Amino acid sequence: MDQFRRIQTGKKGDIHLVLFKDKKILDDTVLDEIRTEMTQLIGKASGPDVLLDFSNVEFMSSAMLGLLGQLHRKISTGHGRLKMCGIRPEILTVFKITNLDKLFSIHKDAPTALPTFT
Amino acid sequence: MAHESDGPAPPPTTGVDVVIAEDSRIQARMLQRRLTEVGHTVRWGETGAQALALVKERRPAIIVSDIEMPEMTGYEFCAAVKNDPALRTVPFILLSTLSDPIDIIRGLDSGADNYVTKPYEPDYLLARMNALLETPLEAADDAAAAMLEVTLAGQKFRVKAGRQQVLNLLVSTFENAVSKNQELVVANQELSVARDGLQKSNEELSTLNAEISRINAHMVRDLKAAAKVQQSLLPADDVEIPGTRLAWKYVPCQSLAGDFLNAFRLDDEHAGLYVVDVSGHGVPSSLMAVTVGRFLSPKVSDSSLLVRQGSDGRITVSSPAEVTTQLNKLFQADEFSGLYFTILYGVLHLPTGRFDYCSGGHPALVRLPAGGGDVELHVTESFPVAFVPDVEYTQKTLQLAPGDRLFLYSDGVPEAMDKDRNPYGDDAMAACIAASRAAPIEVGVASLLEAVETWCQPNGPLDDVSILAVEWRP
Repeated sequence: MDQFRRIQTGKKGDIHLVLFKDKKILDDTVLDEIRTEMTQLIGKASGPDVLLDFSNVEFMSSAMLGLLGQLHRKISTGHGRLKMCGIRPEILTVFKITNLDKLFSIHKDAPTALPTFT
Repeated sequence: MAHESDGPAPPPTTGVDVVIAEDSRIQARMLQRRLTEVGHTVRWGETGAQALALVKERRPAIIVSDIEMPEMTGYEFCAAVKNDPALRTVPFILLSTLSDPIDIIRGLDSGADNYVTKPYEPDYLLARMNALLETPLEAADDAAAAMLEVTLAGQKFRVKAGRQQVLNLLVSTFENAVSKNQELVVANQELSVARDGLQKSNEELSTLNAEISRINAHMVRDLKAAAKVQQSLLPADDVEIPGTRLAWKYVPCQSLAGDFLNAFRLDDEHAGLYVVDVSGHGVPSSLMAVTVGRFLSPKVSDSSLLVRQGSDGRITVSSPAEVTTQLNKLFQADEFSGLYFTILYGVLHLPTGRFDYCSGGHPALVRLPAGGGDVELHVTESFPVAFVPDVEYTQKTLQLAPGDRLFLYSDGVPEAMDKDRNPYGDDAMAACIAASRAAPIEVGVASLLEAVETWCQPNGPLDDVSILAVEWRP
């Protein structure tokens, strides 16, 4: 199952679990690889439920927010749900300034996030 | 397993008694097994001395001996056999590396009958053994044994050797030379094939290199042209707005940036100011920056969102909230690249000091009050532009007092990271701005940039840094 370089994937029922492997998502190349891998993962499913786990991520570029916006749009149009968890306070600040904490469904960690899909 | 060698199988010799001297257990085992397979009886001595004892105990048909061994070397073992009248006609094969011509002399001197060069094919050794067994050494040859004088590498050796022994050694040395020569020929052929391949790869490489230089020159030219276009998004050198003092700094981290800023007069009573930060860097971000910039022109045009001309010829200044909401509508199409931008756009009413502004996901607006109060950070929580469709952006108003300064900047300022990736931070930024209170506004902007660059030593900022400041002086 672990055919991806940047993300580690798993499934809990119908929910796709995606753990970002990188500590830093700053480089454009890393970002492009994440984009490609996420497309490969989600492209297969129709209207999937996805939980993104950021607990490894210490630094994230603003461009990563753009990718999250794209994912959000793509998943919502397929009537799936995108949720996020494990976001460090420093990164959460950026989500707050950009109001994205209101757009995205953000949870403390995977165990608290998973029940909210039901 | 035993017959995997593809050389011709040695002619069958009826089993004889063989003594081998070999200090390596593994080599001895392998040799022993091969010899036993073809019917020989094998006795093994781990040292020259042990082997000599075995030979004396019962005269073998043939002896095979390694050279480097403890207690007694192969040469000494051989000499001992050849000096014993009862044993001297037993054929003696030395397993030598023959790495030095002196080995041949030593072999001759010790009376060895043949050499097999290590590493050897077992079947090759068997063939040598058979040859020696088929031509028994004549005792009469002893008489013919004469003292030979050989000069090698300027050194004279006196060697006692029989004719047949010399002949055998000569043949084995010759065969050895022939086989080495064949190996050399093969190696040479392989080398010349490899050289041809290398030459071909080299030619392909230089063609590719030329192609890369050509493409690179092309790209450098395009980048320069793009950077020039981007410069046009920045304030004119001589920008002056009556009733204000302006200062700005703009440091892109690559040749093409996602940041841009501007300050200009909109009409007799209004000035516009903005800082825009497109996500990412490089060509895609800068292309988006240029596209966004076209909509943020202070001149009346079809594309400008900032000012409109009514049918009566009068110019209307759009509110910052209208401008941001419109931008968000225009740039929603950009779903493919995932690019978006943050903006802080404000309109200053020059007669009254009323500042209306709207933020699209942009860092806080900073006010440095003229009266000596604390630096104020005005945060607006709002979506970046091109992120969420159909957002109605709202605007806020600040009433300036004469001498108040406003600082607009990109996140490259508070989020600038030192070598341990600690951000410069809002507090340090506010303190730096407060410290420049007494100095002219140009100094305030320059010292903030300097503080950011110092914070980022030794690597320098990883993001574009934009700072735009205005002071209201009615």
